[in-house]
Amino acid sequence: MSEFLMYLTNGIVMGVIHAISAIGVSLIVGIMKVVNFAHGELYIFAGYFSYHLSISLGVPPLLAMPLSVFFIFLVGIGMERTLIRPTYGDEMYSLIITFVLSIVLQNAALLIFGPYPNKPPNLISGATNIFGLYHYGNQRLLSFFISIGILVFIFYLIKKTWFGKSIRAVSQDRGMASLVGVDHYRVNMLSFGLGAALAGTAGVVIAPIFPVTPTGSSAISLTAFVVVVLGGMGSLKGCVVGGLILGMMENLGAAYISTMYRQIFGFIILILVLVFRPWGLFGQKTQ
Amino acid sequence: MLEVKGINVFRGEAQILWNMSISVEQGEIVTVLGANGSGKTTLVESILGVHHPKMGKITFLGEEITFRSSFLIARMGVSCVPEGRRIFKDMTVYENLEMGAYPMKARSFLKETVGWVYSLFPVLRERGGQIAGTLSGGEQQMLAIGRALMSKPILLLLDELSLGLSPKITKEIYGTIKKLHQEKVTILLIEQNATLALRHCYRGYILETGRITLQGTSQELLGNEHIRKAYLGL
Repeated sequence: MSEFLMYLTNGIVMGVIHAISAIGVSLIVGIMKVVNFAHGELYIFAGYFSYHLSISLGVPPLLAMPLSVFFIFLVGIGMERTLIRPTYGDEMYSLIITFVLSIVLQNAALLIFGPYPNKPPNLISGATNIFGLYHYGNQRLLSFFISIGILVFIFYLIKKTWFGKSIRAVSQDRGMASLVGVDHYRVNMLSFGLGAALAGTAGVVIAPIFPVTPTGSSAISLTAFVVVVLGGMGSLKGCVVGGLILGMMENLGAAYISTMYRQIFGFIILILVLVFRPWGLFGQKTQ
Repeated sequence: MLEVKGINVFRGEAQILWNMSISVEQGEIVTVLGANGSGKTTLVESILGVHHPKMGKITFLGEEITFRSSFLIARMGVSCVPEGRRIFKDMTVYENLEMGAYPMKARSFLKETVGWVYSLFPVLRERGGQIAGTLSGGEQQMLAIGRALMSKPILLLLDELSLGLSPKITKEIYGTIKKLHQEKVTILLIEQNATLALRHCYRGYILETGRITLQGTSQELLGNEHIRKAYLGL
């Protein structure tokens, strides 16, 4: 029993991190109709940044994390300004550009950081006894609470602030949003930055638990796409629920069936959802 | 205050507006009448900066806005109720109104303007927390007008207000237009329904296949033989 609960906890912890990463993809798809294939690379780069900032440059790990996320935010803004902005209106171009960028960044990571997994230092050590049932690593618990905090922040940002409302207005009717005075170029740029920063956040939060490697990036992008489709395009709630389902399925499946198939469980759920509810769990049917 | 001078507007290869000139003075209600496909909506969208003319000039409050982006024109105090309403369907009624007050200037008196809009359309107050897409057609039109008013516009462009509404609701909405005019909002009214529009305006322009063919005061237009035949069915 306690074993099962531990796997379940693992699933939930992974689930919220999946959710953060997926919201990054979902925002960019929802607002700009751009699928960012380089999402996983941004995640990996953030992990490496936090590793090198804290190990090579001696920045305190707690500071290295937000600093890396901020770098990735700037990278995202730079990407939008230089590569994505000229492609608006033709979704095929941005698809090809982000795909090529993903390959370029992956190989850049191989050249710069090398092929070995790197793990930033833990922020906290030891383990906590959960309800007297099992011991759980403090680092994982901390990552979990940071992720929850970030999810709350994102929901607040999107639902309550002017920036969030302008994001939603642009994603519903870009032309009308600009007719009420929303600078949609700026919204695009900032939300691409935000999407990138969310990839980065997931990267720095997970890196102390699962070390990052340059070749791991494709799997990360795919996981995020699976969660977005699972939850339903454009739904934040869907990303959270989809992330949790995927996280739990992966961990329980790996524990009770086989670790060999860890990656496959997500795709099995995805296929089932696409067969029975193609608009996703929380998405809206469109014609 | 608004002056459109000899604009030629294209959509793709097709020329929609030909050497068109209209003007609207402070405090007026002016109407542009035209049948389907005469270029009414293109005219509105050119003023709003959605399309930019190949030739000609548009000025607002003495500033040239011919090639300005929509959001900058909106921030100058031009607001619109577009054809088909285009409310933000997945947001609540209240959030739609908030979006109308997006320009910095308007945010500071948000509470006050919401109160004003609610007094014009009491039904919106009742529906404040409801998702806008679930409103009826008439309520959505009221919401679209309410949203346009939230920025306390200097100039209000109304595109086909009566389209798809029952006569009773149309009457109600035109009653509101009258009230707005008493509150010194300048209005450019684009309509297909000539009787309705001319009854509420000082001056009018007749738009036919992208050209202004006639202009004059409401009385003159109502008395014109061609208009009586073609638009009023008399």
